[in-house]
Amino acid sequence: MNNLEQLDQKYLIVEMLNRPNFYDGQILYESLYEIDKSMNENVRIYRDNLKEFKDFLEIWVHEAKLPLATANLILHNQKGNNDTRLSLQLSRINDNIEQVLYYARSEHSEKDYLIKEANLSKTIASVLMRNKDLLLENKIEVIIETIDTIVMTDSKWLEFIINQIVNNSIKYSKNDDDSFLKISLKENRDSVTLIILDNGIGINDADISKVFEKSFTGHNGRSRQTSTGMGLYIAKNLCSKLGHHIAIKSQENKFTEVSITFYRNDFYNVAK
Amino acid sequence: MKTIFIIEDDHSICLELKRLLDNSDYKAIIVENFENVFSEFRNINPDLILLDINIPKINGQLLLQKIRQVSNVPVIMVTSQNSEVDEVLSMSYGADDYITKPYNPTILLLSINAIFKRLDNITDTQFYNGIEVIPKKGLIRKDDKELQLTKNEMIIFSYLLSNKGLIVSRDDLMTDLWNNNEYINDNALTVNISRLRAKLKDIGLDEAIETRKGLGYILL
Repeated sequence: MNNLEQLDQKYLIVEMLNRPNFYDGQILYESLYEIDKSMNENVRIYRDNLKEFKDFLEIWVHEAKLPLATANLILHNQKGNNDTRLSLQLSRINDNIEQVLYYARSEHSEKDYLIKEANLSKTIASVLMRNKDLLLENKIEVIIETIDTIVMTDSKWLEFIINQIVNNSIKYSKNDDDSFLKISLKENRDSVTLIILDNGIGINDADISKVFEKSFTGHNGRSRQTSTGMGLYIAKNLCSKLGHHIAIKSQENKFTEVSITFYRNDFYNVAK
Repeated sequence: MKTIFIIEDDHSICLELKRLLDNSDYKAIIVENFENVFSEFRNINPDLILLDINIPKINGQLLLQKIRQVSNVPVIMVTSQNSEVDEVLSMSYGADDYITKPYNPTILLLSINAIFKRLDNITDTQFYNGIEVIPKKGLIRKDDKELQLTKNEMIIFSYLLSNKGLIVSRDDLMTDLWNNNEYINDNALTVNISRLRAKLKDIGLDEAIETRKGLGYILL
């Protein structure tokens, strides 16, 4: 019984039992063994299915990006077409596709990220570039304070995370002329914190504690445009895999501030 | 004219990519047969290669390794494989840049341009109609008259200069500014262009930058 307490997969208990030497016990032991075996096989089928599904999803995502790339080129090749409406919609499709990809990546225990030195300002620059048209159209002023620093992360994952946050800032801006998005950095002795601040509609007190929960849309998600409630949930999941800390502060009608803390782990220095 | 070899198996991307490059005064050649892609490369002897990772017959990264054994031609990986591992691998095999699909076409052109500039060892100073343009110092000079441009004005002027005679859209200029971490808005772009025009006029270049209504600007 002690053994059972310690097992995290309790159905494996039979593997730890000695085969009893009396008849009734042997029957029970054999039965348990067969039951366990069939369950293991069942679990395996689901695990394989999930793996296959995830593999297919990865391939599908790459395939889905090809027509998007073509469409972007076609739009660009139409000289004199200064209409950004279509390219905005294309970029929305791209964001949605990426969300599926990173959802799959974040839910799967497999390690498919690579932590190495990455320049924060480079990652932020590509997020801003991705959102250039939306930021311009919504007249959101971009204020960047010194963000030139190196952190240990997977820059592709981080780009996705920051993109979710910036997307939210744009989506929930106040649509007035004073809107801004401010990105700054706080360096401590053993950590670096990236701070993304906007003066949008904010999040009310009842909702703020739940924004990282799966499928949570809250007041803002319901009253504004569509929201899956998955962006911040996935962002948080990815952060915890990468060893970053993500936090949010807000005051309704005033501001929202999301911060991501990167720890300067001694381990990384040793590994270097 | 620089030759760019497109190694990519999606036919519609190839065609549009070729149009994009041809419009920007490059000669683009699309791969014909992936069985012979390496010998095609040797025959064409391109100035730059745009290489996808997911291509038939041979993986793009393997092809890159093979190319690197015989040539230092610049290679930009253009792929929908958006993972850190693939980027690190590609760079370690000797890629010059790594761009993920769907990309912003202006950014692709900027990075091609940057590679050629570096390669041709274009010294900082450029010349335009008798004036000397020194981007690093933010200076333009004619005879003994010198004028200081702001960073934004210089980015705009350099972009127009490297696309001399071609129409440049406002979005192209905006993309280049943002690419240089200058996150300005539409009004600021307008202001910067008129200041640049005034400065060029000061130095004797009246109406060097023409507006093409609905299209953008052109430096003649």
